[in-house]
Formats: sequence, structure tokens, C-alpha cells
Amino acid sequence: MASFGSKVFLSLGRTNVSGVGFKKTGNRATYATALTVNSSSTNKARGGKGSTGRRPKRGPGEPRTEKMALDQDWTSVYPAATPFRANAVPLPLRMGYPVKRGIPPEKKGNLELIKIPNFLHLTPAAIRKHCEALKPFCTEWPSALDTDAKCDELFPVKIQSTDYVSAGPSIRNPSARVVHMKVKLSSLNLDDHARKKMLKLVGDRYCKDSDILTIKTESCPLRQQNYDYAMYLLTVLYHESWKIEPWEAEKTRADMEEYSWEDSTSQKNILDTLLRINATGEGEEAEVREQLLGREEVLEYKDSVETLKNEEPSESNMLRYKEAVRKVLKV
Amino acid sequence: MAAPCRHVGHHIQKNGRFLRININQLFACRSFGLTSALQQQATDLHKESKEAIVIPRKKSWNKEAVLEALASTVQRDPTAYPYQFQDDSYLSPRTSIEFKLFSLSQESGRAAAKYFVNSNPKLFTKDFAEPHIPCLMPESVALRLEEVSQEALEERISLRKVSAAVEMYDQLLQSGTAVSMETTHKLLDLICLYCDRDPVQEGTPQTEDREEEEEEDRRRKPMGRQAMDFLKCTWKENNNAERIFNLLPERDARCYSALIRGMVKHGAYAKAFNLYEDLLNNRLSADVHIFNALISAVPDVRKKNNERWDLIAELLNQMNEQKVRPNLLTFNSVLKALRQCSFLAKTFSPQILNEMKALGIAPSLATYEHILTVFFYKSASSGPSNMAILQDVLMELEGTSFTCQDPNDVLFFATAMKLCLDNKDLELGYKVHSLVEVGENWRLLGDSYQQALYYGRFFNLLCLMEHIDVVLKWYSRIVPSLLYPNPQGMKNLLQALDTDSRLDLLPTIWKDIKSLGHDNKVDLVEELLSLMARDEHSAEVQESFAACALDVKSVFGERPKKEWSTSSLSHISILLLRANKLQKAWDMLQLFKDKNRVPSGALLSSFLTACRCSASPQRAVELVQLSAAFSLPTTPELAKRTLAEFELNDKQRSIVSEFEAAPEKEE
Repeated sequence: MASFGSKVFLSLGRTNVSGVGFKKTGNRATYATALTVNSSSTNKARGGKGSTGRRPKRGPGEPRTEKMALDQDWTSVYPAATPFRANAVPLPLRMGYPVKRGIPPEKKGNLELIKIPNFLHLTPAAIRKHCEALKPFCTEWPSALDTDAKCDELFPVKIQSTDYVSAGPSIRNPSARVVHMKVKLSSLNLDDHARKKMLKLVGDRYCKDSDILTIKTESCPLRQQNYDYAMYLLTVLYHESWKIEPWEAEKTRADMEEYSWEDSTSQKNILDTLLRINATGEGEEAEVREQLLGREEVLEYKDSVETLKNEEPSESNMLRYKEAVRKVLKV
Repeated sequence: MAAPCRHVGHHIQKNGRFLRININQLFACRSFGLTSALQQQATDLHKESKEAIVIPRKKSWNKEAVLEALASTVQRDPTAYPYQFQDDSYLSPRTSIEFKLFSLSQESGRAAAKYFVNSNPKLFTKDFAEPHIPCLMPESVALRLEEVSQEALEERISLRKVSAAVEMYDQLLQSGTAVSMETTHKLLDLICLYCDRDPVQEGTPQTEDREEEEEEDRRRKPMGRQAMDFLKCTWKENNNAERIFNLLPERDARCYSALIRGMVKHGAYAKAFNLYEDLLNNRLSADVHIFNALISAVPDVRKKNNERWDLIAELLNQMNEQKVRPNLLTFNSVLKALRQCSFLAKTFSPQILNEMKALGIAPSLATYEHILTVFFYKSASSGPSNMAILQDVLMELEGTSFTCQDPNDVLFFATAMKLCLDNKDLELGYKVHSLVEVGENWRLLGDSYQQALYYGRFFNLLCLMEHIDVVLKWYSRIVPSLLYPNPQGMKNLLQALDTDSRLDLLPTIWKDIKSLGHDNKVDLVEELLSLMARDEHSAEVQESFAACALDVKSVFGERPKKEWSTSSLSHISILLLRANKLQKAWDMLQLFKDKNRVPSGALLSSFLTACRCSASPQRAVELVQLSAAFSLPTTPELAKRTLAEFELNDKQRSIVSEFEAAPEKEE
């Protein structure tokens, strides 16, 4: 991998020979100004050696920012993502840490400006031009699908995948194989049992607030395969949740998703309590229980208990429970 | 589980591309179609009360269509150097010599790298690139098959190893194996193409034989361009091609074709014609390539114009008899041969064009180039009326995009621009340039030499004819990204500046001259100085001129071998004086003495005036002494003026009054 990594830094290796030589010294103050001092001293030295006939050292030409017209087409100067070139960007940029009460170093030979990604090739004018050029590749949006609701209704399953673009020897990126499939459970035809079973099967992948089931597939190497797998999973989940297996009859109270008051300890307790209060002994026990269950306060009590257990406890729930208890126990 | 390759570099993530289920699969067609064909979705069709939902079919395009569309938004950057160079103020070529050096060194580096990759293929087996880039992988250059067989012969032919192939063929013949006709054709083609020599491998050291042959060539053609000789070899008597040809039991037209074309390519013209006679005697019919080769060889076998034309006509007739259909190259070679026939060319070239039209062959740029040369430079009378021809040509070609069909296509633009320059026709020049800017026609400007010719002539035309603002606009557009002007071009620019009296731009032009490397051209610099020093200008212009003059002086100072001339020294002095840089001007006078040049009297009197302005009488005295040292005739006047205008003390007065007398005393 190390050998592979070295090939990729083409952007750093090719530009600005002047600045690169100093990046290893770690002395941040030197790279902007030291170069000019060097060249002028060599020129002076050359003046003394002029008699030997050696040509003076080739100095830098003037940067081409001097020649750029004010109304030039910037999108032609930076047409694609390229590293920062100080002689091609006519902005007086400074970047870097100001050492010893100085100022940030200038842009000439500034490695900090070269390291960071720049978006000089994506100015608003460039984006406008690109959009215009890409319009012929697009088709029109169907006019009948003008609201989100209609889209959701007609196309309930939504697929999301990501494409990656980078500069390197290969155009492939393994992260591009990931597929997210989102569907609203309300658009699937599920009855109560099927819905509960489905929720148990998918577990974490369901978001209660938005009622969206998200399936993320990334186990296959290709995006097409992951898409097919996601579709297969959806189909299988749907059919499985409609099937009723014989062992599902063994569902205990601990497996239930919500609290139901029938046959619960709370019902038993309240009925026992009420029976003891009204220990008249008239009629069968079962009949008395039935009668008690039919009573309004008991029903209210049942509602308040269920609300407390199934929803988040809040002030209003507790108050309601308190009221119901008082009514039932006639306190 | 996926391969853990992470790509460092610039990431641009495009998020959230929505696909819909049940969408049509992409069609396999490669063309980028703009069809807006719509298709009903069978499953998801909900008939709304207002309208049905129709999902349009997804358009398909080929792999590069998106990139090409994005590339069409970008134009040429006028200040950028050619793309192959590093875009850095240190590393971009500023003169034409540097341009050539850098591009040649890039090519040689590339060739060296290719050589290393090819000679060590085992080190370069890992292929990172996706999609695969075949030209970066090692090519097989070493022979694999060693046994004597036809496959081994084919391998040698495909690897372009001429001598090894001939050897293998001889071995095959000796061992009695028959070689198929197909292979023999290929072998003959190979030998004739490379003139029986191995093509020079990139980067390999030259062998001894090569050097001997070079010596021979040099002795034979002392004056010619030796680089061309090095590439061009002459057809030797009874070389391998002829030998193999004679050994063949039956020879068909293709064998003859290979030999004749090889002979014509390498200079054995008479032999080519003899072989053609041979072919006719064997009652074979020649193909179009043979005729093209023979027609291009006609000027070398016949010396007189009408004989040449007769031969060409004869060849064309025979072509007709043998029912061989001529192609574009046939007509182009006829025109090229006609170029050497001066007056005949004018008569016959329109006929050639008509023939082409009758056959439905579209003329290429080379055709037009031959015609233009014939009508303008080979005929005795060429006047402005002939520009009509160029106008017609350009009107016909307007807006067309060309591809290169003939190697001489690249000469068209340079010739056309030369015509416009010679006839000083600016409008036609603009028309030619607009033709260059159509589509990909810039590729037909040719190599850097042709390109420099074209743009140099265009720029000269502009300098001659156009207003200075337009000239400067073009200057900023094409210099130095497309053109490195030569000293003549810069002189034309100076002329244009002078004509429109924009001499204030001279210092910037001097900077450009320096960066182009023309600061060692003495006449150019002198012309610049004389233009600057000729008239008086406003104060800040004079300042800039003085700075420029000092720069010129320092440039001259760096080159000890360059000779100063009197005029340049005096111009610099005048410029410095006008900008009131007295001390520096005084240094100039010292320089006069060092270089043994004599300043003019006018210069010294202006010095005196300047001295008066700055009120330095000592200087004035020194001036008079200097003038006497140079034995100038104006010495007495200077002395008089000094006495009159300055306040001198006695000593100075005595010195000066010595010189007041006539100069005979000084002898």
C-alpha cells in the first residue's frame, strides 16, 4: 500500500519546485522569504565571476498574473481541479501562522495553500456553465408528479446510492457499492400481526418517528448486486411477516411489544382489591368480576394504566392515573 | 471485505441520486441521443384525473460524452503556456530556444522511461489503472521465438527488426520451408519502408556502423542538413529487398508495389520507373499507391517541364486504362510535381481541380496550398487581382473543420498567411485566422516551426496594418503563449508603436524583449533606445524611460563581450539627463572614456546645460577638460559658455581659458 500511496501524490510532486524544497525543514518562517534572498546573493556573486563568461543564473520570470486581463474568463484559467498555483491566481492571498509578530507568509511558494483542496474551478460562473452544458443529458420531470405526497404515494420505495470522484490512477471506489433502501411501512399492506413481526425482524432499522424502514446493503462488491439484495430482503420480510409459524403461539407476555391490561397483574390486583372492598359474596366470582370489569371507573383505570405503561410517563399521565385510582377506590 | 484502497486527493462527493424502481434498463446503444421518446410505465400507471404519469426514457450516451460537454464550456487561456509545460514562473519557457529545449527534453525523458519500462518488463507487472491504460504497460520488444519458422518471421516483422527478419527468411529458404505470400508481402513492405536498415530504437546507444554511415553521408553532402540525412537513407544497389524480390518464384502487384514505393521513398527514382516497366511487361496492373509514388517521382527523372508534364499525363492515362481509381493523394502529388514546372502549372491546375470535382474527391488543404503557391509564386505575374483566388478559397472553406489527410496539409495556413502579408491584406488575414479557430483546425497548424511561421506572419501583418490598440490586444493574446516573436517581429512592433505615437509603452516592451531573450540583439536594442531618445516627453514618461535606460545599461554591463556603440551610449546619456539623473549621466561619460567612444558635441552641450541647472561649476570644468581630451571641435564654444554662465574661481578660470583658444594648440 505504501508504494501505491506514493503514486497518488502527483498533485503535490509536480508544482512549485521552489516551495517544496523547504517543506521538510519544519521552519515555517523560511519558505516564503528565504528564496528571494538566496537568488539575489547568487546574482551578486555572479557579478564577480562574470569575467569567466558564465551566464547569470536564470531568474524567475514575472508571474502570469501580471498579464491577466481584468475581464478574463476565469473558468478557462482553472477548468478542472488543480492544485493552487501562485503565479496563476491573481489574488493577494496570505496563509500560514505569523511567526514572531510577523504576518502570514505570502502566496509565493506557500505550501499551506497547495496542501488544501481549493474550489477555484467551481466558481458560480463555472457551475452555471456546467449546468447549461449538462442540460441536454437530462430528461424532463413528469409534470404529473408535482407534489412530494404524490411521489411518495406512487413510488414508495426509495433507493439512495453515492458516486465518488477523485484524482488517482483508478476510477473505482469501493464505497460506491453501498445502497440504502427506504420505505414507509404504512405503504406496505401489513396487518397488526404482520407489522409486529416485521418490526421484530428488522429491529434497529426502523425509525418510529418517521415510520421509515431503512435497509443498508454493502455486503456485495457491486452496486447492482446490493440493490438486488435489498429488494430481495424487502420481499422476504414482507412475506415472512405475513406467515404465522406454529411456534408463534408460544408468545409470552414478556415478548409483547405493548402492554395490554387484560390478564395482567394490574387487572388481577384491582379486581382482587375491589372484591375485597365489596366483600358481599353475592353471586359467582366470575360474574362479579365481569360486572366489575364493565364498570366505568375500572375502565378508566385500565386506560390510565395502559397509557402509563405504553407511553412516556408525563405529568398528565400520572395525574390521570391518580384520578382514576381515586375514583376506583372511592377515595 | 472490499479491497482497502483509499484514494487520497481531491474528493468531490455527489450525494443522493434517486433511482426509481421498475425503471427501464439502459440501452446498449453508444450514441448520445437527444431523443425525447417517452414511455408508459405499465405497473405504476395511475390514471390521474388530470393526466397520466409518463416516465420519460433515460437517455444514453457514450463514456466520454459528459466530459466532452463539460470541456466545451472552457476556452483557451490567453496567458497560459502550452499545456505540456509546468505552469510555474521558474519552469515555463520564456524564449523560443527554451521552448524547444524543454519540449525535446520532455520527449527524451519520456523515451528514456519507455526504454526502461520495456527492457525490464518484470518490474512493471502491477496494473493500478482502472480503466486499463495500455500505453503505460511494458511492450514486448524482445524476441521470444528462436526456432526457424514462419511464426518467428512474423514476430520479427511485427517487432520491426529488419535485419533479423531478413536472416530468418534466408534461413527458412535454405531449410526449404515455403513462406506464404502474405508473409512475403509483409517482409517486403518492412524492408522497403526502412530501406533495409533497422529503425533507430529510442534511447539505445548508436553502434559503430551507424557512425560510419554518418561519416559517409557527411562527405557526400557537405552542405545539406545533416539531421535530415541521418534519417533519410539512400537505396543501395542490390540490397536485400531486390535480392528477395528476384528470388521470388512468382511476383504479384503487391510485391512490385512495395519495391516501387520503397525506391521512390529512398531516392532510386529511375529504378522505380524501370521496375514499373517490368510490371507492365508482366501484364500486371498497378494499384493506386504505385501511381502516387511514380507521379511524385516524375520531377526527379525528367528535367524539362513539358517532358515532365508528358510523363504525368502518360501515367494518368495508364491509370485510366488499368481502371485504377485515383484518390486524393494522386491529385495532390500531381499538383506537387506541377509546382516544379512553373508556367505549365497555371494552365493545368484548374483542369486537375475539375477532375477532382468530377470524381467526387473533396480537395484537402494540401491541394489548396499547392494551388496558391502555383498561382502566386511560380508565375511571372502576381498582382492584387490574384488575391481573388485566395478569397474564393477562403469563402469556400469557411466554417469547415478539417482532418489531416495529406502530410502537406500543415503547410496551408503558413502559405496563406504569407500571401496575406505580402499583399498587405488584413481582412483576408482575419479570415484565415477565423478558419484556424474553427473546431479542431488548430491541429493543422503543424509542428512548432510551422506554427511560429504562421503566427509570426500574422503578427507582422497586424503590426503593419492595424491600429495600435488592436495590435496590443492581439499581442497580449498570442505572445508568449502561442508565439515567441523574433527580433524582426519586435522591430515591427516598435514601428507600430511609433506610428501611432504610443512610445510611452516602450519600457514594458523592453521588459518583454528581455524575457524573450532578445536583449543581446544589438540592433534591436539600439532601435529601442533611439526611439526613446528621439523626442521629449512628459515627466513620468521620461522617468520610466530613464529607468529603462539604466536597465539597458546594466544588461550591457553583464555582457563584457558585447560592444557598445556610440549612438547607444549617447542615447542613454540623453535619457538620463532628461530625467535629471546627473550622477548616473556622469558615469556614462566615464563609460565613454573606458570604451574609447567619442561623444558628440551636442551631447556635451546638453550636459553643460544640465550642469548649469544643478549649479555645479566643478563639473562644468571637468566637462571642458573631457571635451578637450576627446579633441572635439566644439571645445572652444564649451569653454566660452562655461566662462560666461558659471561662477568660477580663479583656478578654474585659468583652466578653462586655456581651452578657449583654437584646438590647434592642443596638438
